[in-house]
Amino acid sequence: MPIARDAASAEFFDGTARGELLLRRCTGCGRISAPQARQCPDCAATEFTPAPASGAATLVSWAVPHDREGRPLTVAALVELAEGPWLRLRLTGVAEPAADLSAGLPLTVSFEAVADGETVPVVSVAREGRHETVDRIPAPQEGPTP
Amino acid sequence: MPDPLSSDSNSPAPPAASATFRANPALSPAVVGLGITEMGKVYGRTAPDFAADAVRRAVADAGLRTADLDGLLINSGVRNDLGLELARDLDLRDLRLLDYLQGYGSSAGAMVSFASLAVSSGLATTVACVFADAPLREGRGTGAAYAARKPPSGFDGLLVDAGLASVNARYALAARRHMTTYGTTSEQLGAVAVAQRGWAVRNPLAQLRTPITLADHQASRMIADPLHLLDCCLVSNGGIAVVVTTAERARDLAQPPVHVKGFAQAHPGYPDAGDSAFGLVSGAARSGPAALAMAGASIEDVDVAELYDCYTFTALLSVEDYGFCAKGEGGAFAESGALGPGGGRTAFNTGGGQLSSYYMWGMTPLSEAVIQARGQGGERQAPRNDLVLVSGNGGVLDHHSTLLLSPHAGS
Ligand SMILES: [Zn+2]
Repeated sequence: MPIARDAASAEFFDGTARGELLLRRCTGCGRISAPQARQCPDCAATEFTPAPASGAATLVSWAVPHDREGRPLTVAALVELAEGPWLRLRLTGVAEPAADLSAGLPLTVSFEAVADGETVPVVSVAREGRHETVDRIPAPQEGPTP
Repeated sequence: MPDPLSSDSNSPAPPAASATFRANPALSPAVVGLGITEMGKVYGRTAPDFAADAVRRAVADAGLRTADLDGLLINSGVRNDLGLELARDLDLRDLRLLDYLQGYGSSAGAMVSFASLAVSSGLATTVACVFADAPLREGRGTGAAYAARKPPSGFDGLLVDAGLASVNARYALAARRHMTTYGTTSEQLGAVAVAQRGWAVRNPLAQLRTPITLADHQASRMIADPLHLLDCCLVSNGGIAVVVTTAERARDLAQPPVHVKGFAQAHPGYPDAGDSAFGLVSGAARSGPAALAMAGASIEDVDVAELYDCYTFTALLSVEDYGFCAKGEGGAFAESGALGPGGGRTAFNTGGGQLSSYYMWGMTPLSEAVIQARGQGGERQAPRNDLVLVSGNGGVLDHHSTLLLSPHAGS
């Protein structure tokens, strides 16, 4: 599903188009916050400079939403970047969802171009310096609700 | 792994309101009316219709007329289609208190708290608190009721891309973190669902009254792994209202008064960073002790606990955070059968909760708590009801409220 940018995310999506995941570095104290941060949690400053993430991350938690026929739609991951902030991103390249996943698993950020939309950051399981090309898991649809 | 409880080291101070109640017992607050509309797949009525119906029923239940109300507090559901116009629908004149508030599932507790402060301070004498929602449409899946309605953009678009558009998936993330941290299992979550269905079987108000087994839970279709269908609450159309007045006025009314002994809120504000207790500790860890301190009670005194259970996981987490068992042992506690009929010292979710009875946000636990405190629970009445705890949970564990109710006046 293509994502449109808005004013708050324009700089971020300029970054993803270049293959950069831009975090926000506080101009007051240097703390690095998530891309959508509005205020530094340490010093309450509201001025930031962009800080590209290294791309190294670990898995904090994950969920696998299913469609009404019981098919997994995607693997949703809560990840902790090496720089500290948490992001919620799609985890790619996992054929059997949840089977080999565990908290603390090392991940790598990569980028997927989407037709008619912004380039999105995704994560995959880190494999010692080598990126595997994998089929995309079907795009998420409207989430089922009880 | 951070210590999830380290941020909860400040001991909560009892709200100043407790001193007010003790200084003048006549002005202490009591719930005197409860109104529950037709509930569930009831089509062709709007949320304002349900809300007005619920208020009229609550007022009649108390032995009052709508003209006796001088306060109205309103909480709208997911469609945000209730507003102050409700006062006009009910033909209410010269109100001294009229407000709309939104804390999602914590709202019912918040409304009763504010109504209690209002009647005990003299701001108003008789306040109705109402929630209503009509998300279900005939011929449309219940999933559509809570689905996002706008195309994704900006950072929210990334959430959609990740598969986290639905609340189900976000709670699944929370549940998974608890599972990987404490070893909680899907079967233990299932024990919550089975226990509550056991109560619902005895509740004529419940929508789902066929007993289920753990095998049924495990076989139910996956909604967002690790959450199965039977881990998720119902979605209901309907409305519920309560009327709050002073203990003095309550004496002359139709129903046994249910006294409000304590209340508190807690909104954790989880940071998006490694020290977050997201999925590990809810606001109950703070609002519970604060409300108990106000009531002059401890968790061991709670006879009945009506816990917010939008998911089995929410109830399991609340059991831990209120201190009914140790942190991380909610799964084992559920597995022991403690949550079902005849389970243990405290009776939990005696109506079947949102999982099996009806989904009216925080009004689900509150309405059952009022029924239990009155001793009107019939087949499902808990043997002791001297102190009844009500929890409310909103957002994705973002908002929490606690109420403590009792059939007894005085402290
Ligand atoms: Zn700073």
